[in-house]
Amino acid sequence: MGHGKVMNPIRVPASVNSLGQVADYVRKLGQLGNLRDDASYRLHLAADEIVTNIIMHGFREGPGEIEIRGGVTDAQVWLRIVDDAPPFDPRTINHEPRPATIPPAERKLGGLGIFLAFTAVDDFEYESKDGLNINTLKMLRFRVGRCDKWDTASV
Amino acid sequence: MAFQASLSVTDGKATIELIGELDSSSAPKLHEQIEEAIKSSAELLELRAVALTYMSSAGLRALLFARQKMGETGAVVLVGAPEPVTRTIRLAGLENTIQMSDA
Repeated sequence: MGHGKVMNPIRVPASVNSLGQVADYVRKLGQLGNLRDDASYRLHLAADEIVTNIIMHGFREGPGEIEIRGGVTDAQVWLRIVDDAPPFDPRTINHEPRPATIPPAERKLGGLGIFLAFTAVDDFEYESKDGLNINTLKMLRFRVGRCDKWDTASV
Repeated sequence: MAFQASLSVTDGKATIELIGELDSSSAPKLHEQIEEAIKSSAELLELRAVALTYMSSAGLRALLFARQKMGETGAVVLVGAPEPVTRTIRLAGLENTIQMSDA
């Protein structure tokens, strides 16, 4: 990730009980990178949804661990989420906007968390390497203007 | 902040006060309170969200659960939710499904 500040990584059990710890880590990372509150919230949301998805789907067959590490570069705050569950690329999930005109009964909630994660971050990368899923979330530290996906995606 | 959901019922109106962060680990607590609210036969379920500091898609599912459980004749209103929470609801396209009002 180049030069800059890096936080010590944490490894957490693949359990929803770890989500509070993930939230705390993301908050500290946001402070390290001087993220605005709204950007810090969005990074928390994205991390929560990606980690929850790994817990619920990646490790549904058994226990596992998830590694979280983050850092700050001149322009960005980045958060990397790594697991050794079966390969899963979140980018393959539909993350188009969800029109309010779809009746609730016909609404598919699957993929909603991944959709929110994509919408919340400024950049998302996925790599499958050496048996690991590597998800990288990035937030711009000094945004000029609004985040179009998040602020205007309501259709 | 640890999530809290506390239910009170008066005159056909159930109120659940939401405090803290609502994610996949805390959503079951809210589901329990919604079930209790349904048992009370209330016609209106008000979810007070002034002190709800965070909500993930697990919270959206809980809101839809409440909406479905209250049925055609019952109402569910989310009151005073902070901006990122209402935005999340709109992003999910649920603003016509989940009634929202200011505190």
